[in-house]
Amino acid sequence: MSSLKFDNVTLKFGGITALNNVSFEVKPKSLYAIIGPNGAGKTSIFNCISGIYRPTEGDVSFGENNIKDLRPDQVADLGIARTFQNIELFENMTVLDNILIGAHRHLNYGPISSLLYTKKTRKSELAARKIAEEIIDFLEIEQFRYSYILSLPYGVQKRVEIGRALALNPEVLLLDEPAAGMNNEETEDIARFIIDIHEEMGKTIILVDHDMNMVMDIAEEVMVLNFGEKLAEGRPEEIVKDSKVIDAYLGVS
Amino acid sequence: MRGRPNLYTDYNKESAIFSNNTQKSWFFIMVAFSFSLCFTASEYWIYLLTSSFLMSIAAWGLNIVSGFAGQINLAHGFFVGIGTYTSAVLGGIAGANVIGFELDMLIWLPVAGITAAIVGLIIAPITVRLKGLNLGLVTLALVFIGSHLFSNFKSLTGGAGLGRKVARLKLFGIYLENGYQIGDYFLEKNQILYLLSLTLCILCGLGIKNLVRSRAGRAYSAIRDGDIAAEAIGINIFRYKASAFALSSFFGGISGAMFFTVSGGVEPGTFNLLYSIVFVAIVVIGGAGTVLGPLFGAFFYTMFPAIIQLLLHVFEIGEQSLPLNLGQIERILFGLFIISFLIFEPRGLWGIWFRLRNYFKAWPFSY
Ligand SMILES: Nc1ncnc2c1ncn2[C@@H]1O[C@H](COP(=O)(O)OP(=O)(O)O)[C@@H](O)[C@H]1O
Ligand SMILES: [Mg+2]
Repeated sequence: MSSLKFDNVTLKFGGITALNNVSFEVKPKSLYAIIGPNGAGKTSIFNCISGIYRPTEGDVSFGENNIKDLRPDQVADLGIARTFQNIELFENMTVLDNILIGAHRHLNYGPISSLLYTKKTRKSELAARKIAEEIIDFLEIEQFRYSYILSLPYGVQKRVEIGRALALNPEVLLLDEPAAGMNNEETEDIARFIIDIHEEMGKTIILVDHDMNMVMDIAEEVMVLNFGEKLAEGRPEEIVKDSKVIDAYLGVS
Repeated sequence: MRGRPNLYTDYNKESAIFSNNTQKSWFFIMVAFSFSLCFTASEYWIYLLTSSFLMSIAAWGLNIVSGFAGQINLAHGFFVGIGTYTSAVLGGIAGANVIGFELDMLIWLPVAGITAAIVGLIIAPITVRLKGLNLGLVTLALVFIGSHLFSNFKSLTGGAGLGRKVARLKLFGIYLENGYQIGDYFLEKNQILYLLSLTLCILCGLGIKNLVRSRAGRAYSAIRDGDIAAEAIGINIFRYKASAFALSSFFGGISGAMFFTVSGGVEPGTFNLLYSIVFVAIVVIGGAGTVLGPLFGAFFYTMFPAIIQLLLHVFEIGEQSLPLNLGQIERILFGLFIISFLIFEPRGLWGIWFRLRNYFKAWPFSY
């Protein structure tokens, strides 16, 4: 089990500084939340972790590995999976196929074995199918198994995306606003899934969210981000009392 | 826990090549019917069907890279050409200006596919880094480079305007060019080609079906639907795009090797831009990204002139009374078909077939 660490990370887009000298450490098996207003740089942090953006300065490491220069698929291979703020599911495929794609890295055969569908292929596929079915059970989306993504309500799509990330069997799960755009009941469902993933599956979770209430309820540690800078970090009950945070973020919302 | 012990076998059955018995039955009925046509159809129809089978194989190839993996490829005809000339050199007769080794089909057919695949891999460092319009332009350039090479490597291709003879039909050391006697029955050359093409077509079709129900096929579709998400999930998109190009070219190469063996000779000018575009048209009309689409598209394309002839005949319209010649009319109509499909039925002929099938499934008494 490894810690995920940001070391003085700065990320610039031309004149815009999306992240300014941000450092933090997420310990194994913790549930770490990042909050902050729109445009604060939360998604940019995820993109720096998963190799979609490359920090302008600073380092990102996972255990012994410096992952700053890795490609997204290499980061995923180390056991870091994510969801996207604006759902990025494979729309022309079914729920089952989306989740099976998540299990891609657990299958160890190539295109030619795919074409010939050898014995090894069959065995691998069955194993992947088992992983997928367990996740479908867990997320209670059995009735949507064969539905195409586009035909599904938003809340279910969000769940499927979590399922696809879980299928990687990652060590760290990055969730980008999993409850955005959901009603109270759906938010509670998602919170319950997140707690289960954290406690029962024992995964490290980094949660980015707008919904302060949910974050304060479930997170063990919270970082507050504002205009690309780290404003505060600590236990939820400390954060809500922090005067800087109240001024910059809680005050306005 | 009801059914838990059976779970394993259930998934096994579900991911099987035919997910239900109806599909399986239809497959065997169609295969049996196709084989029987070899002995009942006229020479003209045998030729058309043979061409359709081989065009299907090439179209399936393009469908891997364009339909599944979503990468534009305007150079599929170039890869078909690579396969064609590989087979011609390995299996053809040496002439005054061209080389040829008269090897067995067991060698020239697979090597034709493999060579095309290798060429696909050689250009992969460029193609996998591009997408959309840029990829379209690079593949376009490839067609012109290919044409140039084919015209100038005279010892391999015979050169522009002249061409060369293609691979000989020698299988297991037996020359089949003049037919083959099996017991009391004499198989004509065109029947042998029909049977070989049909068999290849079935094998390739099953291969495609295997692809879509397993890891590589899913990875291709993931890249098509969202390359960023695909990468974030652990798919090495460079490697998979490269393998899509290679597999696609393999199918193209095999198809070319057989196709021109049916027609007997080949001239470098064949592999021009239009030739490549035809494959794009076939995939679009048939239904990109589907298993059966390219098959439908290839049959439609190959049979199209025959269908027009038939219509003219039925409606008793003389060719002389037409304002344009037949070839022009065919091309105009075909162009219109492409446009209509793009606008009205992006899933092509497969989409129409799919809706008809569901319509009849929903018929009150079909169960
Ligand atoms: N690809 C990009 N190009 C230019 N600017 C970007 C890009 N991605 C993010 N930004 C900028 O970085 C800042 C932080 O964005 P983001 O990380 O998406 O914030 P959050 O997720 O907290 O809402 C914003 O000002 C945004 O406009
Ligand atoms: Mg964001």
